[in-house]
Amino acid sequence: MDSASIYYLGVTLFLFIVFAAIVARTYRKAHQAKGEEPKFRMMDDDEPKKKDRPE
Amino acid sequence: MNQQDGYADDIVKGFVIWSMVWGLVAVLLGVFISFQIAFPQLNFPPYLTYGRLRPIHTNAGIFGWGIGSFMAFFIYITQRLTRRSLWSPGLAKAQLWLFNVVIALAAVTLAMGMNRSKEYAELEWPVATLVVVLWVIFSVNIVMTIVKRREEQMYISLWYILATLVGVAVLYLVNNAAIPVSLTKSYSAYAGANDANVQWWYGHNAVAMVLTTPPLAIFYYFLPKATGVPIYSHRMSVVAFWSLIFMYLWTGAHHLLWAPVPDWVQTLAMGFSVMLIAPSWAAVFNGYFSMNGQWHQMRENYLVKFLIFGITFYGMQTLQGPSQSIRTFSAFIHFTDWVPGHVHMGTLGWVSLVLFAAIYYTVPRIYHTEVYSIPMANMHFWLVLTGQLIFSITMWIAGVQQAAMLNATNPDGSLHYSFIETLAELYPYWYMRAAGGVIYLAGLLLFLYNIYKTITGGKPQAAVQPA
Repeated sequence: MDSASIYYLGVTLFLFIVFAAIVARTYRKAHQAKGEEPKFRMMDDDEPKKKDRPE
Repeated sequence: MNQQDGYADDIVKGFVIWSMVWGLVAVLLGVFISFQIAFPQLNFPPYLTYGRLRPIHTNAGIFGWGIGSFMAFFIYITQRLTRRSLWSPGLAKAQLWLFNVVIALAAVTLAMGMNRSKEYAELEWPVATLVVVLWVIFSVNIVMTIVKRREEQMYISLWYILATLVGVAVLYLVNNAAIPVSLTKSYSAYAGANDANVQWWYGHNAVAMVLTTPPLAIFYYFLPKATGVPIYSHRMSVVAFWSLIFMYLWTGAHHLLWAPVPDWVQTLAMGFSVMLIAPSWAAVFNGYFSMNGQWHQMRENYLVKFLIFGITFYGMQTLQGPSQSIRTFSAFIHFTDWVPGHVHMGTLGWVSLVLFAAIYYTVPRIYHTEVYSIPMANMHFWLVLTGQLIFSITMWIAGVQQAAMLNATNPDGSLHYSFIETLAELYPYWYMRAAGGVIYLAGLLLFLYNIYKTITGGKPQAAVQPA
């Protein structure tokens, strides 16, 4: 393996660690309610609220 | 710009209509070139040959129909999920003009034979430069709307939208790097195997960033809107998103198995392609689990039918794709008709079904009418489903037969069939494919008529209608 290959695999490993951190953060218990909130809030966006209208 | 409702929806109308125009062009050309393969005498050199028309078909389909409607729905969705009007409606209007100029220029230049010979990156540098300008305008408008959002957290569709904007920009700039030698000719900045590697890094990630992330953004938005029930798990969708982003960019080299690129690059691409089953199926399961207690809507709600069949084809596509990336299977089916069967399950089955649902949902709302005919929409569904299945299944069978014939050897190791013998056996399948295309086209025409009547002659919307 040359240095380019090691660099390539190193970047892969680094990104995997970042990904694992995202999974851990997303699924931590304290984040449960907040993590699911957007799916409920998006249900009522068809009609903009008064405060959302252009100034 | 009609902004009395707070959202800039006039521009959405423009993109929806033009994307349907280009979609019709793509399917008409697709049907015509399928007849050209079945009946070679239908090739009329130099302009009306398969070689000239095929890239116009793919460009009209992927960029005209696909990107055009993604632009429409990104604008529609982003405003609603951020609860902000579009950052600059004027910029979006300019974007619509430029989009149509680019697609028209693409069609004309490709018909004239100006082609970089890179699949899905055929456009010569002046047109490609306009594409970059177009994408920058689009991205700035969407990103600024998201930056100024009134919602603290971003719903999953916005993540997919951002990934598309960034991903396409990076892919397009890198793979289109070229040295112009005249106004109509340029040469790639890369050479040999490196050029192939960059091309397929781009080519497969065009599948990721054009044919996967945008329809997923649209699916995650319109499924809950159509059913009236939130998605099963937002956190699962977030994890699936990041794992998809993490894995996809490594997979391009599976198009170059057995080619002179480093063996470990091929193996890595193969490994990541198989791993991609996990995030892809996380989205599929999220869709299915969102239907818990709602499966009766498959019968009652035509939008749900489009969306759930769409995500099912996505699931099948993401099982078939990784299988094809395995060296031994790839050696068998590569360079056979199996491949267009696979591709069209994705484009006609997955992407287009989701887009049809999104258009049926959106058009009555932005035009304040009701859908002209739901039975017609149901007929549209069955016609496009039948047409697509005939196309794909026929091509899979043809591909297996072709592969078996190409690989058949005599006891002394020589090939059992000549190449022309393998082609002659494929004619019945090519007739079937053309027939499948005609059925699909009939469904599309019904859809266009339904939408036309919804816009021009639909009953006024009494109230906010259920899907």
